[in-house]
Amino acid sequence: MNDPHFIWHYDGKTAICREAILTATEGGFDVAADGLPLENYAWADLVYRGEKSGGPYYGHISRPGWQIGLTDPLPDALFARLPKPKRYGGFIDRVGLVPASVILVAASAALIFGVTKVPEVVAPLVPMSWERNLGDAMIGDMGGRFCQTRDSRKALDVMTARLNSKGDPIEINIANINMVNAVALPGGKVVIFRGLLQEAKNADELAGVLGHEIGHVRNRDVMQSLLRQTGLSILLGGANTNAAGALNTLVSSRFSREAEAAADDYSIKLMQKAAISPDATAGFFERLSGDEKKMGKAAAALGYLSSHPVSASREKAFRASKQTGVAHTPVVTPEQWRAIVDACANDPDVEDGTGLPF
Amino acid sequence: MGIGGPDQTAFEFRGSWQAFLPIALTNSLLTLVTLGVYRFWATTRERKYFWSQTRFIDDQLEWTGTGLELFIGFIVAFFALGIPFIIFNLVVQGSILQGMPAVAGVIGLVFYVAILWLVGFAIYRGLRYRLSRTSWHGIHGGSDNPGFAYGTSYLWKTIVGFLPLGLGVPWASTSLFKERWEAMSFGPHQFTANPDWKKLMKRFALFYIFPVLLLIVGVAGFTRGGGMDDNIGGAIALGGLAVVFFYIALPIISLLYYAAYSREVVGSLGLGGLEFGFTARSTDWLVLVLGNIGLYLLAGFVGFMGALVFGGLGAVMMGGADALASDMATGAGFAGLSVVTIITFVIPFMLLGPFIRYRSWAFFMRHMEAGGEVNLESLTQSETKPLSQGEGLLDAFDVGAI
Repeated sequence: MNDPHFIWHYDGKTAICREAILTATEGGFDVAADGLPLENYAWADLVYRGEKSGGPYYGHISRPGWQIGLTDPLPDALFARLPKPKRYGGFIDRVGLVPASVILVAASAALIFGVTKVPEVVAPLVPMSWERNLGDAMIGDMGGRFCQTRDSRKALDVMTARLNSKGDPIEINIANINMVNAVALPGGKVVIFRGLLQEAKNADELAGVLGHEIGHVRNRDVMQSLLRQTGLSILLGGANTNAAGALNTLVSSRFSREAEAAADDYSIKLMQKAAISPDATAGFFERLSGDEKKMGKAAAALGYLSSHPVSASREKAFRASKQTGVAHTPVVTPEQWRAIVDACANDPDVEDGTGLPF
Repeated sequence: MGIGGPDQTAFEFRGSWQAFLPIALTNSLLTLVTLGVYRFWATTRERKYFWSQTRFIDDQLEWTGTGLELFIGFIVAFFALGIPFIIFNLVVQGSILQGMPAVAGVIGLVFYVAILWLVGFAIYRGLRYRLSRTSWHGIHGGSDNPGFAYGTSYLWKTIVGFLPLGLGVPWASTSLFKERWEAMSFGPHQFTANPDWKKLMKRFALFYIFPVLLLIVGVAGFTRGGGMDDNIGGAIALGGLAVVFFYIALPIISLLYYAAYSREVVGSLGLGGLEFGFTARSTDWLVLVLGNIGLYLLAGFVGFMGALVFGGLGAVMMGGADALASDMATGAGFAGLSVVTIITFVIPFMLLGPFIRYRSWAFFMRHMEAGGEVNLESLTQSETKPLSQGEGLLDAFDVGAI
């Protein structure tokens, strides 16, 4: 046990490589080398560093550059006291690569599940007043890009009053932006883009879309997706790989699709309560799905990856929701509808919204 | 100790891609299953391999950095950069939406100036970190200069370099090279660097001469091919020239310049009694780049084939696309299939990075030279302050350090 063993040695103070002798002692070992004082070390001070000239070598836990390396194999009893080689890192080396991978996959999946599910619980707890402040800070009055005349405001109010029977805190505005879309922004702010009004054939088509956005407000979807996106980008921010990006899209689009379907359901309920015919909205989706049909079967698969359900299935849902024996009335009068459609043309001091980041 | 005979080079890389493959594969796997967190440990394993397979004179290099310190560096950079960036985005978006583009512009400008400063600072810190974790004969490098002044130099020299139609770029980059390397030391010795930007100007002039030549050729062809009447032909010719310029000529000119630049700056480096040299010619760089492009194509091919086989088989087993379209309830199966397909597609691409770094390191070491004397007795341990964390900022900007 106490036989001398030849090793090579750097003391970490100069670059000179010395031949040295290692001798095991009580609780440790001595290193003796020409030109250096004899020193005693504890086995626990050693750190595995790698392989050099065919043998392992070791560093010292607190002395940078200090190294000893084996030229001949040590007897088993001594070798067993040396630290084991490190490969992947502490935890993985202890458990083994395959079991560690399985554990890590499970942990990652649980983490992603948590980050995506927690917003559903947390978002409703965020006070609406906070969300409204956030919305005001982000949007304000869009720099005067909201179109409004006295008649258009009145008509929108009538429309909101009829649809919003549950009294959700909604603020509806028309933005002077030529896009066929509408969005729910933080704080119950629903914005209809000018392009959508020009595309819609009548007020009932708009009612379906508005009901959908009110559904988003009702379900706190905006807050949820803000929280979820922040969580996912922090979680996957470290990944910086294509895989993480794909995963992010896959996970968030799944939740987005669920939210969109729920918002459609809510819209249908509001329209049933207000006795507005869903036919017009169904017709709107039918026109949209006409474009999608041209893409063929890929649309179904794409629907799974995209943020909204495919228009054809939305059309079906609205169409099927029509109740028989109910006297449907248009959501607003034709005059009121005109006032809404022409709001941007008739508002003398509205700013042009072209070039906004939507 | 002198440096060996004419047949023995000071630097040698002894690695092989077969030995590196298991490291790259397990790194990719672990990075994937940890949502990317493992990549700091992956980088460390990769560098330990590169460094340990590199011989300088009579001993191999050693990478002494750890994954944990890279991870800590990342966390620090995330809070130092990520949170201001999120706030900045919100403020700028808000200002634009509320019709105050001027405010957004000013904030944006301040932000990009700050970013430029930070990029310089990050390059400096990355170099300092790498030298402090590089050990040879048990001796390591480093610097006590924190690099704040370098950030400022980087900011103004970059701007001044670009102002005279970009003609100052060779001056800016060589003087920055000198500034950062002369702040570094290895053991007791300070690095010296005296690159001469004037020697680079001939190559750099290609950036200006070539477009003019191309334009002359273009105009000549245009007038010959029927003059102003033939608008479509002219437009096609002009478009073709633009493609040639941006996708072929510009990369080649950059490569020609970069080859000259790296020979000049590395050739001007000295340390103690050592003089360094770099022998890679433009054709060597071309082979390196073409090889990397080949790797991209290979990864693309393997990835697509894998995704096709796995994705296709899976879809057939699930009853084909019709079943999928008619019954979205098989969503869970479809999501699982997507994940498998993504993984088969992504793994070859995840191996690209490690192998491109492998090739770069091997290339670098194959062409590094050193001459002169090393006195081992006077090569004493570096007295620079030890660093506690890795190159998080550099990582965030994804720029090289050397």
